[in-house]
Amino acid sequence: MKFNSWYLSSFIVSFVVAIPILTVFASFFQETTNYYDILKNTFLIEYIYNSLTLLIGVLILTLVLGVGCAYVVSFYDFPGVKFFKWALILSFAVPAYIYAYSLTAFFENFGTLYSILKSLFGSGEYNQSIPKFDGMLGAILSVSFSLFGYVYVLTRASFHYQSQNLIELGQNLGFTKYKSFFKIILPSARPAIVAGLALVAMETLSDFGAVSFFGIATLTTGIYDSWISFDDLAFANQLSFFLLLFILGLFFIENISRKRAQYHSPIKGGIKEKKKIKLNFSKGTLAFVFCFLVFFISFLFPVLQMLYWTIIFPKNLFDLNTFQLFSNTIYLVFLSSIVLVVFSFISNYGNRVTKSKFLNFLTTFSITGYAIPGVILAVAFITFIAWFDNTFVKAFEFNSIKKIFIGSVFGLVIVYFIRFYSLAYNGLKTGYERINRSIDESSYLLGYSKIKTFLGIHVPYLKNSVFLIGILITIEVIKELPITLILRPFNFETFATTAYIFASQDLLEAAAVPSLFLILIASTFILITSKFILKD
Amino acid sequence: MRKLTIISLFFALISSFTIAAEVNIFSARHYDSDIQLYEKFTAATGIKVNVVSGKDKALQKRITEEGADCVGDLYITADAGRLGAFAAKGMMQNAGWSKAIKDAVPAQFRSAKWTGIAKRARIIYYSPERVSANELNGMTYEGLADPKWKGRLVIRKSNNIYNQSLVASLVKNRGKTTTANWAKGVVANMARTPKGNDRAQIMAVAAGEADIAVANTYYHALMLSGKKGAEQQEAAKKVKPFFPNQQDRGTHINISGAGMLKHAPNKANAVKLVEFLLSTEAQNHIVNNTFEYPMIAGVTPNDLVPGKEMNFVMDTKTSVKSYGAKQADALEVMLAAGWK
Ligand SMILES: [Fe+2]
Repeated sequence: MKFNSWYLSSFIVSFVVAIPILTVFASFFQETTNYYDILKNTFLIEYIYNSLTLLIGVLILTLVLGVGCAYVVSFYDFPGVKFFKWALILSFAVPAYIYAYSLTAFFENFGTLYSILKSLFGSGEYNQSIPKFDGMLGAILSVSFSLFGYVYVLTRASFHYQSQNLIELGQNLGFTKYKSFFKIILPSARPAIVAGLALVAMETLSDFGAVSFFGIATLTTGIYDSWISFDDLAFANQLSFFLLLFILGLFFIENISRKRAQYHSPIKGGIKEKKKIKLNFSKGTLAFVFCFLVFFISFLFPVLQMLYWTIIFPKNLFDLNTFQLFSNTIYLVFLSSIVLVVFSFISNYGNRVTKSKFLNFLTTFSITGYAIPGVILAVAFITFIAWFDNTFVKAFEFNSIKKIFIGSVFGLVIVYFIRFYSLAYNGLKTGYERINRSIDESSYLLGYSKIKTFLGIHVPYLKNSVFLIGILITIEVIKELPITLILRPFNFETFATTAYIFASQDLLEAAAVPSLFLILIASTFILITSKFILKD
Repeated sequence: MRKLTIISLFFALISSFTIAAEVNIFSARHYDSDIQLYEKFTAATGIKVNVVSGKDKALQKRITEEGADCVGDLYITADAGRLGAFAAKGMMQNAGWSKAIKDAVPAQFRSAKWTGIAKRARIIYYSPERVSANELNGMTYEGLADPKWKGRLVIRKSNNIYNQSLVASLVKNRGKTTTANWAKGVVANMARTPKGNDRAQIMAVAAGEADIAVANTYYHALMLSGKKGAEQQEAAKKVKPFFPNQQDRGTHINISGAGMLKHAPNKANAVKLVEFLLSTEAQNHIVNNTFEYPMIAGVTPNDLVPGKEMNFVMDTKTSVKSYGAKQADALEVMLAAGWK
């Protein structure tokens, strides 16, 4: 009966992940009263308009930044190219909401830039001439600089795996540089670029921290508001319909493109180290300046702003209970990584040995949890637990289960699990696909049981994938804000929640210290894995 | 299911060990100075204070969905409208405020379910260079809609609760239709699309983007204190506070306050904590850290706060209870006027 136990356990894993997603849909079919009927249509149009403006702005910017950096770093040799190759992915360590704090602090009236100008040129009326990066523009910049890394990493990997040097090919065909870029290089990397942009788009539409900081009403904040503030599930329903339509569309585009990108990649071991073209002084300088600017704006700028504040207000550093925050953050990271890795293993293996179409469908469905904005997932989770408790648990006169799930680390880890399950599942799947099924067969022929094959062969083989996934989850959990904020227990703070709470009390200077720690820890993990991120 | 019961029994067991002396707070007002106060309270009484902080609405959602299982005792937030609206949803209970609390807090700043802990005023800030004393003579909130301020006013968004409470007080005093027209006038006078917090409005006046701003009193003091850096301290000196409606009902007053949650398991401890927060010691701590006005008599506000002599006319006729009651109307008239 081992066959069935694998089926059952992977079924349960996928099902648990799917529950809140179903709740999101189901809760929107309840009717409630509201006062704002007349204004709804204006709202709906505004939310869609804002979401689209944000989306288009971010897509254009991340496309230019991501592909631009990937292109110069992959094909050309210039001073600093080796450094930029990995330095550019440090932008992953800066969440959009922290970027937003830095942007505001630097450019606001009497902000950091004002101080700099004043100390350089003496007192003056600088405020009017300082550009203000707030509102929609601020949101677009914050989200773009924190997300362009996705496009950069995927596009670079695609360039890296090209079977021949595309620049040489262009030269042989007598193309100009521009022509070969647009006719050969860009099309060859298209699936990777589209996959990167689809990821960026999903994250953009789910963003809560940065857009709410700048006061931009998007579909996500709109759903949150109408669900939470106005108790208006009917309107939330309408909004989610549009949002999920967007997001699920992107999700499938991403999946298809990723498959195509893999199709384009060569068979194992077939990558020749390509010779890069050495740029002359002026062009080399140009490439250097471009990469440096992107690195500076995406990473150094927010870090320096936070550092500046920490230095001028050192009291905030000493007041912060850094050790407690650190251990809370690591505790969450540790639990969620283990849970995610173990259960993704089970369901991956279950899918592999049972070859069930239904299970496969359920798994595919459950990994869409990633597409649901964290803030909505958290509220859906609370709603589901309350409903389940009131309907079933209370009806059978069992003790209430709410305390176990709401406001506990256990509940927090469950929701992280749902949110990041696709990350873990897909990561392992990629590794699994490299293990030939004939290995399984021979293992069974040799008399190994399924569990022995799993533990003795698959697990050691997938060690690297597991390591990489563990670190990716770590980075995501460290940066995660809305789920932690809504579901955390009493007296439990992380760097992310501390930064957010200071910022929402208009104490951006105090938010600098936890932000800085968050960025430093995430950067460390990124650097540990940079080899893997850049190869795979 | 049996397993779950065992687990929940286990959890109940753990919590029954710890509830001996504690009080649980859901707080939308997260100042570090508040935490220091709670520590003082624990030191004095041995009652442990547990806190979850977060955004108002998300906290309210969690409290509501947890229902009878919610272990929260007090809901602390910085607006009477929020306390009132949440109480109106049936999420609070009669707190049984002690005589000490009732004596300390004037009746218009508390209800049976919640009470104010500190006061703040929402006032006008102006640039003395660009606004004459004559122009401001007899200035009221109603006067913000006067066309003479066209392109000269900054105020934050309509989704901001301070604005909702201010407009609710206008709805209460002037009626919905008049306030709806007033809101249109205000929108027409705005120097820019609303953005930023109260401090950003004050800085916009200092930077010359606008001539008058609407903001709470403590933000100006915060800037003057230097806690925001030397530049903002200087900027704060470029604007002057003005207390509106001195000739009639007085300046709009709001509160930070605490409400007793419906299923509070530690009600007596919660009352003790509120008593402590209203003690002279705690009130002195609050006024010097958050720059609010004290709730009790005999404590002087911080030196940097506008109106620190407390010699301005406060609107004590409009009960802060009406802010919650008229909140929906307030938001509706602002949105209808195109107030972003
Ligand atoms: Fe405030």
